[in-house]
Amino acid sequence: MAMTQQELVDMLSSLTLFADLTRPQLEQVAHKMTEESFPVGQRILRQGFTGTGFYVILDGEVAVKIDGEERAKLAKGDFFGEMSILLGEPPVADIVTLRQLHALHLGGPELEGFLRDHPQVMYRMLKTIALRLRNASRWRS
Amino acid sequence: MPLNTHDKAAALAGVPLFAGISEDSMERLAAVAGEQAFGAGQFIVRQGQVGTGLYVILSGSVKVLRGADELAHLGAGEFFGELSVIDQQPRNASVQAAEATQVLALASWDLLGLLESDPQLALNMIKGLVARVRSAGEQHRH
Repeated sequence: MAMTQQELVDMLSSLTLFADLTRPQLEQVAHKMTEESFPVGQRILRQGFTGTGFYVILDGEVAVKIDGEERAKLAKGDFFGEMSILLGEPPVADIVTLRQLHALHLGGPELEGFLRDHPQVMYRMLKTIALRLRNASRWRS
Repeated sequence: MPLNTHDKAAALAGVPLFAGISEDSMERLAAVAGEQAFGAGQFIVRQGQVGTGLYVILSGSVKVLRGADELAHLGAGEFFGELSVIDQQPRNASVQAAEATQVLALASWDLLGLLESDPQLALNMIKGLVARVRSAGEQHRH
């Protein structure tokens, strides 16, 4: 499914991660990131392996698996890959597509610069990660 | 002996959370940071309380507790309490001084204003949170 630049920017404007950006800023984001598609059953990130990328899901679904066990599902609007990049460590989970995936990708080395250029995105990411931390802590019972 | 603003700034500058932030941000933080002292066994924050800010440990150490579980042990240069600052939800753990402990307290409103204007601070905080998510996740693996 090929999108025009206009359609892509419209789609981005509907995602929480980019909710605070103006139209010109959304266009900048669309310009810096690349669209990628993955078939079902593809492993995008591998537990323990180097090789990083930051992904924002536009359509489709992935499973987050640790030691083969599914821990979470991510779908449209969710992001992944940032943990390994920010910590400088290999991923601790596999990310595997459950359905055909359409995502925006940014190379690992570019993430910090991208977040500095778009502090509103960084702030949204901060809130989401804070929520993940609350949920992660809740598993302990 | 109370710390003056200059000493507070020096103490904060040594904390990884504030590494690389602008001088302006550092001065603002030091000006509003409040010093507090706790004896061994005293609670600094309690699970379920409304959170009003984050704490940086200047000296001593603390235990992070949820019910009877000890989740973590933190020492000088480390921080806690940031989750409530970011999402305004009640504290999800208690923090108890393990020995005589001195902290600097930073109020949510002061910190939030800075997070939005100082990208380095936001980036440092994201990295701190991400490291904690990773270690919280690893605790479930066995």
